[in-house]
Amino acid sequence: MTPVPVTPSARRRGRPSRVLVYAALTVALAATLIPFVWMFLGSVKTEAELRQRPPTWWPQTFTWDNFTAWFGRLDIGTFFVNSVVVAAFTVLGTLVFCSLVGYALAKLDFPGKRVVFTLVLVTLMVPGVVTFVPLFVVVSKLGMVSTYPALILPFLAGPLGVFLMRQFIKDIPDSLIEAARIDGAGELRIFLRVVMPLCGPALATLAILTFLGSWNNFLWPLVVAQSEDMYTLPVALSLYSVGQNSTNYGVLLAGSVLIITPVLLLFVALQRYFIQGIAATGIK
Amino acid sequence: MIRHRLQAAFAVAAASALLVSGCGRAESPEQTGGAAATELSDGPATGTVTVWAQGTEGEALQDFVKPFEEANPDVQVEVTAVPWDSAQNKYQTAIAGGTTPDIGMLGSDWMPGFRSALTPVPDDIDTSDVFPFAVESTQFDDARYAVPWYVETRVIFYRTDLLQEAGFDEFPADWEGLKDLARAYQEDTGAEFGISLPSGGWNSFLGGLPFAWSNGAEVMNEDQTEWTLDSPEMVESLSYLNSFFEEGLADKSPDTESGSASADLVSGAVPMFLSGPWDIPGLELAGGEGFEDKFGVATVPAGPDGTSTSFAAGANLGVFEDAENPDAAWKLIQWLSEPDVQARWFEAVNDLPAQQSAWDDEALTADPRVAVFGEQLQSVKIAPTLVSWTQVSAAADTQVEQIFRGGKDVEDALAELQSTADSLGTGQ
Repeated sequence: MTPVPVTPSARRRGRPSRVLVYAALTVALAATLIPFVWMFLGSVKTEAELRQRPPTWWPQTFTWDNFTAWFGRLDIGTFFVNSVVVAAFTVLGTLVFCSLVGYALAKLDFPGKRVVFTLVLVTLMVPGVVTFVPLFVVVSKLGMVSTYPALILPFLAGPLGVFLMRQFIKDIPDSLIEAARIDGAGELRIFLRVVMPLCGPALATLAILTFLGSWNNFLWPLVVAQSEDMYTLPVALSLYSVGQNSTNYGVLLAGSVLIITPVLLLFVALQRYFIQGIAATGIK
Repeated sequence: MIRHRLQAAFAVAAASALLVSGCGRAESPEQTGGAAATELSDGPATGTVTVWAQGTEGEALQDFVKPFEEANPDVQVEVTAVPWDSAQNKYQTAIAGGTTPDIGMLGSDWMPGFRSALTPVPDDIDTSDVFPFAVESTQFDDARYAVPWYVETRVIFYRTDLLQEAGFDEFPADWEGLKDLARAYQEDTGAEFGISLPSGGWNSFLGGLPFAWSNGAEVMNEDQTEWTLDSPEMVESLSYLNSFFEEGLADKSPDTESGSASADLVSGAVPMFLSGPWDIPGLELAGGEGFEDKFGVATVPAGPDGTSTSFAAGANLGVFEDAENPDAAWKLIQWLSEPDVQARWFEAVNDLPAQQSAWDDEALTADPRVAVFGEQLQSVKIAPTLVSWTQVSAAADTQVEQIFRGGKDVEDALAELQSTADSLGTGQ
């Protein structure tokens, strides 16, 4: 935040409204944080206390049972590794492929370019459930059911990513690219040395969107992973906490803490880049 | 709500994919369907048997089958636990992709949609002592397509300690008594509401059906060719349920989140609700120590024109057409439906045995509450085994919500429901 110079009279007039703004922000902050605080506190409560009416805020009895369930009885390490591998490769692949396609659609001239771009936009409109079963049939015909490629490949070049990168790269001045071309740089060199360094904010946005999508994805991993050692975290969370007729809230909350904490830490560490990225792409 | 709408969209997508992929299928339904049941080979089971089972059952089954593996040294059972959430989608896609396991655990209400992907049960597997309603859910065109594994039914859970406070010695057996008790709970024990009843949303019609059945009403005629949703008995039973909402004895918009009804029973805010066997351990967990003596269960009170009849469901074990090891799969299912094994399974995960003779086992006779479930299971009905039932049920949920929450006339609502159901047909 850059400080805005204000005249004394403006400051006086601004004060009551500023109090209001801060009050509103505090309420919004509380509304955002309270569910997280509730989740963390709930994860160390007993099942009986979680279901108690009226609910308790601070745990009456601390228990680590919900966490020991995840680390003892349930094999959280395997699920965690699966989630990390799938998310990492999905993000990397998406960044590479979407920026390549986006660059071609934004800056290169080739026959059928408009048709290709229109097709990308059209696939953006097709809801996932429509292609879900055919996609699974393809994966099973390729013999990839219950493998990492099945969990990763379908998400490597999403239309949203292509669209995002194309829009961002389009705004990079042509003269920069032409200058590089005059200096004798090839297409790949231009892409890597001129275009990519300018795409930082867009790449950061795409990375975080893809990561969250992959980390939280439930239905596809559920269907494709046909043995428990290929389950990802959301599938495992659903398996062990949500029954047909009842929910084990303690295990659910402890599992949620374990799933969300790495993402939260990642966000805090990389916060600056994300805000930059979202602000930069959001303006257009 | 959203999830179920999504599931419906998904089912349509899956069904159309099945239609498309069906053209390329090797076997036609005539070849595998019908009464051409396979016979089991002699001797022990061999090879690998893959099983998908949902939730708790999936978690516990792998260890539970050890005695079977010991008795059949050349067999290896591989259980994959599947989450309940979206489980149907998982099976549907697997069927479309030809990647089904040998054995699937199928909810009894899934059967109409899944039978085309299942093989008929071999004649060697005896289901003559299984609860008749459970066998009925697997029966299509004179063949059985799955073997009932466990059953469940709905009874009324209530607070025994508050019963005396309300001036009752025992749980009432008729409609009038139930209403008096609800009122007494509310007036004499400080309860917010006397009973919790489904007032709207998914499966709220089904949730009230035990009262309709207990009053002699039927959803369909006997051979499932006509809907009978606007009968006088049905009108009478929905009017009875509606009176609880009108007189403030039941909450018109209760919290339908899982576990909230049991939380209200524990706190005494709503001391009665209709639920299944899973709420015995559920309430013991929610109530904490000392609560196990404070609640009881009772069969559904009978209406003026009928006898106590509740809703029953459960899960069946079926073998898929694409199964790689059907012989060993059927042998495992045969073992799982032995009465003694069923009683041990009850001890492991609290699933009520489908085999009636398993109920004589000490494990089941020890808790009088379990015995009440056994008693209720002697008089139960299942939801229609038709593909169009899902749509009719959804239309019924809407009407029920308009009656209970919106004050719509019961007769008008049911007449509308009847004509909707007639236009949806019976899918036959």
